[in-house]
Amino acid sequence: MIETIKQHVAGLLTEKKIAGFLGLIEKNGHVAPHLFKDGESLAGFTLGDRKTAGDARYPLNKTLVTLSRAYPEETFGVLVRGCDERGLYGLFRLNQLTEDRVIPVGFSCPAELSEACECRKPYPDSLVAGEKTESSQLKKVAEMDGKDLARRFDFWTAQFVKCVKCYGCRDVCPMCFCKECSLECEDLVAKGDLPVEVPVFHLTRAMHMADRCVDCGLCDEACPSDIPLRLLYKKTAQIMDTDYGFTSGLNKNERSPLSQMGPAK
Amino acid sequence: MLDFTGIEKERLRARWVSSAEAPEFVEEVNAFIDTLKELGPSPLKAAVEAKKEEQKEAPA
Ligand code: SF4
Ligand code: SF4
Repeated sequence: MIETIKQHVAGLLTEKKIAGFLGLIEKNGHVAPHLFKDGESLAGFTLGDRKTAGDARYPLNKTLVTLSRAYPEETFGVLVRGCDERGLYGLFRLNQLTEDRVIPVGFSCPAELSEACECRKPYPDSLVAGEKTESSQLKKVAEMDGKDLARRFDFWTAQFVKCVKCYGCRDVCPMCFCKECSLECEDLVAKGDLPVEVPVFHLTRAMHMADRCVDCGLCDEACPSDIPLRLLYKKTAQIMDTDYGFTSGLNKNERSPLSQMGPAK
Repeated sequence: MLDFTGIEKERLRARWVSSAEAPEFVEEVNAFIDTLKELGPSPLKAAVEAKKEEQKEAPA
């Protein structure tokens, strides 16, 4: 799989279709984002699979937004999994990236990863390598829904008080780009106090991610307090899907019901 | 989302009331107050305090 992708990327670079390819490199025992340029060897090029599939991922789209702002005339290639591509579609919709300045190079995730993530779309449309893996069902949300109110309350308050307000969940999120963040608004979140306002802090973020979150799970991985953030946002996504038939980034060019005025269609 | 995190969803209410509809507003607020009285005080504050204590006692 990786060889096919490398060849594809090398082709894009030598044909000058892209100014650079934003991918991952393994260097000195670490995996990190890297911009591969023409003439540079693709040694160290990695998909972010170390011990297990997808265990060294990065929010490459976030770097891509920064790159595109600095070089608006250039076209870049970017490595994508299914969720990353959903992120690209979302960022096109939200005017953070221009579609014809981005060439996604996609690969699919293995079935085990799809299942562990309970992923809606474990493969990108721009599939360069791999097969279309089956999507998986939401199980953990249903499990939580099955508990009674008091148990849910107990579970979530115990989780939320663990928060150390490091903002890692927001900072790693490829779909968070606002210059002014509600989580830094002192009327909502008092400065310096711990624990954070329960459940205001986490539910504010959940609401703001309702039509953005692409379920990449990076926030969940980044959280030093192991708060199951992804489960929370999976619920918001489920509500968006059942009530509005919308899932962030699932279909290209689909507008969010939250940014439309007028009666529901 | 409140419901998902174990808080009675009746504790939050959103209604559109025009500034020309004072009686509707009063009625709405009164009804909400009744609902809240029925629900009683929120367990949130006490629960957060209790969980904080628990965590102090058992450092991870
Ligand atoms: S899973 Fe977390 S990091 Fe990924 S898009 Fe959703 S909120 Fe952002
Ligand atoms: S990453 Fe975890 S601990 Fe840090 S602010 Fe987010 S929820 Fe809180």
